[in-house]
Amino acid sequence: MSRMATIFALLLASSLSSYGADSPVRVQLDSTKAIPRSVESLTEQVILRDYRFAWTSIAQALEFNTLDPLEGAFTGESKQALSQSVTSQQRTGLSQRYVDQNHKVQAVFYAPEGDVIELHDTAEYQLQILDSGKLIHEEHVVVHYIVLMTPAADRWMVRHLQAVPQF
Amino acid sequence: MHAPASAIAGEEVTISTNGSGKATFYLLGPGVSRKSDVSLGSEVQLKAQDLQNAGEYFAFLCSDTCRSSSFYVTAAKPASLTFLVHPSRVPVGQGDAVSGVALPFDQFRNLVLTPETVNFHLLEGTASVFSRSSQTRDGIAWFRTASQKSAGTLQVDASLGDLSARRAVQQVASDPCNLRIKGERTKAGILVQTEPVRDCAGNPVPDGTIVSFTATDGNGRSTVDAPIKQGVARAQLEAPGATVISVASGVAMGNELRIGAQP
Repeated sequence: MSRMATIFALLLASSLSSYGADSPVRVQLDSTKAIPRSVESLTEQVILRDYRFAWTSIAQALEFNTLDPLEGAFTGESKQALSQSVTSQQRTGLSQRYVDQNHKVQAVFYAPEGDVIELHDTAEYQLQILDSGKLIHEEHVVVHYIVLMTPAADRWMVRHLQAVPQF
Repeated sequence: MHAPASAIAGEEVTISTNGSGKATFYLLGPGVSRKSDVSLGSEVQLKAQDLQNAGEYFAFLCSDTCRSSSFYVTAAKPASLTFLVHPSRVPVGQGDAVSGVALPFDQFRNLVLTPETVNFHLLEGTASVFSRSSQTRDGIAWFRTASQKSAGTLQVDASLGDLSARRAVQQVASDPCNLRIKGERTKAGILVQTEPVRDCAGNPVPDGTIVSFTATDGNGRSTVDAPIKQGVARAQLEAPGATVISVASGVAMGNELRIGAQP
């Protein structure tokens, strides 16, 4: 029985891996224009790592309609909005895939005391909308996001994520 | 299908459809996912509660094929002001030591991105010591300034229209300045104590600040650390011979005291 369960788990993992949530998330971060405080190199690396992780988590949460991926990468308003998206999708049977994500991110504001950073993200990805697993729409989208990240004990967390028509 | 190019958070929106027959309408946006059957040619009403989060919304109308449209919801008018002020405690007379960042949010906690004027105002007691108007850029206004000369509470206000937020920064004395000591020989050794310890602006240095007394005599050197209590630091030194006593606190050095040998 346990052997069957293992095989099933492997098959499930294999099938999931071909979906958008496993698609690579490319993030380029330019923090040279951040004001008033300059972003230290180590901070930049950590923000890059954590912002990429956040988008991997968004893709997983909205594709599989599960809240678990939202733990750790999000806080405040962004976590609330994403959680609402997931629970709302659970009710309607809709899901979204973010495939081939490419984020060009610019840090525009870094607070004097380093307790908040604002990013401008020009994100490109293939957006797939599914109704009960059936693809109903697919398009290549370019979305501009205004992002607020704040530091936690050992990482930076996305506190605010708001799409805008342009910067 | 025709959707508006943009909408305000928390306001209803109408999407018109063309054609005839039945179709399925989908709405996907930040925090919302909606699916309903509609009659083509009728209007689809999006409720205010479906459009509370600012961001991009996608609308789909599917019958034989699917058609899509997208629109943006922008933040409503400012309803709250998040105000971050640092530090909570600061030594007096430090350049660029106090800073504040203000972010306006609407009633749905969307960041308000239209430029808004935020007034920053710093008060010592009732005296205004700093005032600046700053326009938000991408939802953020900020200031930075020096701490003042006197120890005490610095009130830091930010206001935007009818909205305001208040924070307090405790300004404390800076490093000790002009340390002076006096001492006398007693039966137990040498009792040495500082005059009231103040910073260069005359503010009393907080109790608990460590003052180091160093005694040098023919047998060598010994150091005693003592905290300031009620404005002064005291120490008892054991030095029977002729002794030179010096004092220091942080980077500040004080006067030297020469005490003769025990008779």
